[in-house]
Amino acid sequence: MLLSRVADNLYWGARYVERADDTARVVRTFTEVLLDLPVGVASSWEPLLAVAGSRELFDAGHARANESDIVRFLVSDEANPGSVVSSVASGRENLRTTREVLPREAWQAVNDLYLYTQRDGESGVDRRTRARFLSRVISESQRLDGVVSGAMHRDEAYELWRLGQVIERADMTTRVLGVRAAALLATSDRVDDYDEVQWMGVLRSLSALQMYQRATRGPIVGSGVVAFLLFDRHFPRSVAGCLERARAALLRLPHPDRTLPAVDALDRLLADLPDSADDGRALDAAMDEVQFALGHLNVAVHDTFVRAAE
Amino acid sequence: MADLRTHAGMWDELVDEHGQPRPASAALVEQLALLGMAELQQRQDLAELDIVGMGITFTVYSDGRGIDRAWPFDIVPRVIAADEWRRIEGGLKQRLRALNMFIDDIYNDQRVVADGVFPIELLEHSVNFRAQCRGASPKFGVWAHICGSDLVRDADGTMYVLEDNLRVPSGVSYMLENRAISKRAFADLFSQQSILPVDGYTDELKRMLASLAPDGIEDPTVVVLTPGIYNSAYFEHSFLAQRMGAALVEGADLVVGDDDCVYMRTINGRERVDVVYRRIDDMFLDPEAFRPDSALGVPGLMRAWRAGNVAIANAPGAGVADDKVVYAWVPDLIRYYLLEEPLLANVPTYRCLYPDERNYVIEHIGELVIKPANESGGYGLLIGDRASRTEIDDAIANIEADPRNWVAQPILSLSTAPTMCDGELEPRHLDLRPFILSGSAQYVTAGGLTRVALRRGSLVVNSSQGGGSKDTWIVET
Repeated sequence: MLLSRVADNLYWGARYVERADDTARVVRTFTEVLLDLPVGVASSWEPLLAVAGSRELFDAGHARANESDIVRFLVSDEANPGSVVSSVASGRENLRTTREVLPREAWQAVNDLYLYTQRDGESGVDRRTRARFLSRVISESQRLDGVVSGAMHRDEAYELWRLGQVIERADMTTRVLGVRAAALLATSDRVDDYDEVQWMGVLRSLSALQMYQRATRGPIVGSGVVAFLLFDRHFPRSVAGCLERARAALLRLPHPDRTLPAVDALDRLLADLPDSADDGRALDAAMDEVQFALGHLNVAVHDTFVRAAE
Repeated sequence: MADLRTHAGMWDELVDEHGQPRPASAALVEQLALLGMAELQQRQDLAELDIVGMGITFTVYSDGRGIDRAWPFDIVPRVIAADEWRRIEGGLKQRLRALNMFIDDIYNDQRVVADGVFPIELLEHSVNFRAQCRGASPKFGVWAHICGSDLVRDADGTMYVLEDNLRVPSGVSYMLENRAISKRAFADLFSQQSILPVDGYTDELKRMLASLAPDGIEDPTVVVLTPGIYNSAYFEHSFLAQRMGAALVEGADLVVGDDDCVYMRTINGRERVDVVYRRIDDMFLDPEAFRPDSALGVPGLMRAWRAGNVAIANAPGAGVADDKVVYAWVPDLIRYYLLEEPLLANVPTYRCLYPDERNYVIEHIGELVIKPANESGGYGLLIGDRASRTEIDDAIANIEADPRNWVAQPILSLSTAPTMCDGELEPRHLDLRPFILSGSAQYVTAGGLTRVALRRGSLVVNSSQGGGSKDTWIVET
């Protein structure tokens, strides 16, 4: 038995914590990649705003887009609902009302993460302390994930948690790819020399570099990276891998007949995608389509588990 | 550090008037001396870290906002000898048997009135009497399934019942958490002596609640009904639901069907609910029966209850006996219903309703505690010998305006126990709230929640007003 309200909170709690984790990874990696590029080459921080999908909100509050403004906005700004600090707070707020279905240590882990981000959020802005802050956010999120994996009964609550987590994760993977695609469109010859560095950055920001190298044993080239991140279902952050887990979760939840069509649609969309990374425009458009379809899945989940009992 | 300070003329729970440890406290007092203040402070700090890390909080209201505060806890436990506790336990069970018979009687035949034992006019202005409950007959004749009675000890060592909380008493989760923390702080003492465990409470609660289900239901579904996350006791609601494996529901999660049965909205659709452990006040339970503007409750819940399709604990209307005026009659009620003498003492109580008692109260206000008959949380309390002239004048005006709503009791010298205060052990006043379960059988917690007034000389123990808490050890000697 799982209350609709609790199901909704679990699903969103998992999404918000995953969002904090993903955003922390992206910001951390972006910082590292930029440090590898020579002075004057693509040293704009603006792609980060595009990944987070919060360009408009940022522009509303900022005249300039320099490093510390952008990083503060994405990491510690409480006025940005998508910042790391806000995502953790929203995750905690949702999970507060699910404490009786989550393992007790899970609440402690969320609470620790919340207290840490509330206290030290600003240290995520300064370059000297940024990596330490973001790494801690990532490892605390992983601790939470570990508690859920290791101590939670495989019941409906667990499946909703997983569902929220993988849908958010798939969304972030498509955003990172989409931004890379947009960057390709604007490529100048000079930046192209650093193509490999940038694709490595894409892999790193999704914690995929090492696994990519093990799985493909090939060079780091755009088409290989795109194929890995979209289609390699053995990699847990690939879109295909996330969809596979979403499907498994939905099969264990009530009324899969109402939710699975949205996953089928995503699978079909994925199957029709070109795995070439050379055409930035096509990749960018494709990622938009996948995000749109993920939105449909989100609506199906809400309609089935929350609205149906109203 | 070896000598524990006490207040002259007051009872201390750990040491006697000669500064010697009481028998049940001997091992603890020895340990305190052995550890020394620096180590004790360190353990106190660790306990406070545990509380933050475990997310043990309560909510206070300030400027219209609810703020989560870490639960205030003092590591030095309060100790009661097991043989004394068994007497108290017997007295509490006796008290609750009589109170439940009274509530059932009041809503049905009113024998107690016909027999001239209880003056019915007392209920005319009762804010807790619910006409909607007349003629209802909950299972086992029990209305107050969960009671938190507040006990205090006077200077001569007598334990008194100060009040019975029969509506939605809270604090039991903190009793359980305090034990978890104090086991970490004093692990060695737990292995050396026999301290009664408290952990059985949630199992007993679940068993009791399940026993209330309508007849013929095999594996009843029990839910905990909370007003929501902004309620000051939300932590506890969640905690109890968790420990019982019950769903924690809000009003909007429940719906009463056309069949007068209660259902909850789940991801599978609607599911039948058999027992509602409600942590919402009567007036908010059902907008059809009580306050129509309540958004917290469940429309039709009273209808379902009266039809016998769902049990509600505590039963609506149980608060009629949770009233400082009815309190004054409890010893008489015990004699009347049970034909027994009360095993636990009541504090002498003056009822402002009666002119002679009211005049006594006004004349002796400086020696009395004045209490509103129907408030909880310590609001509106006046302690005569500490109040200013203006406060006293206000209190008298309040009494004369609405005498039914005020009672007065002699000022007791609440007992103390050594408490961590700025790196020193200082005596601080405390009370004790045990919890009594009544269903097909009765159960009393081993000890209860000890609340302590952290400010020097203060008698106000409520956590909403700066009170703290201690673990309570029932020790076999």
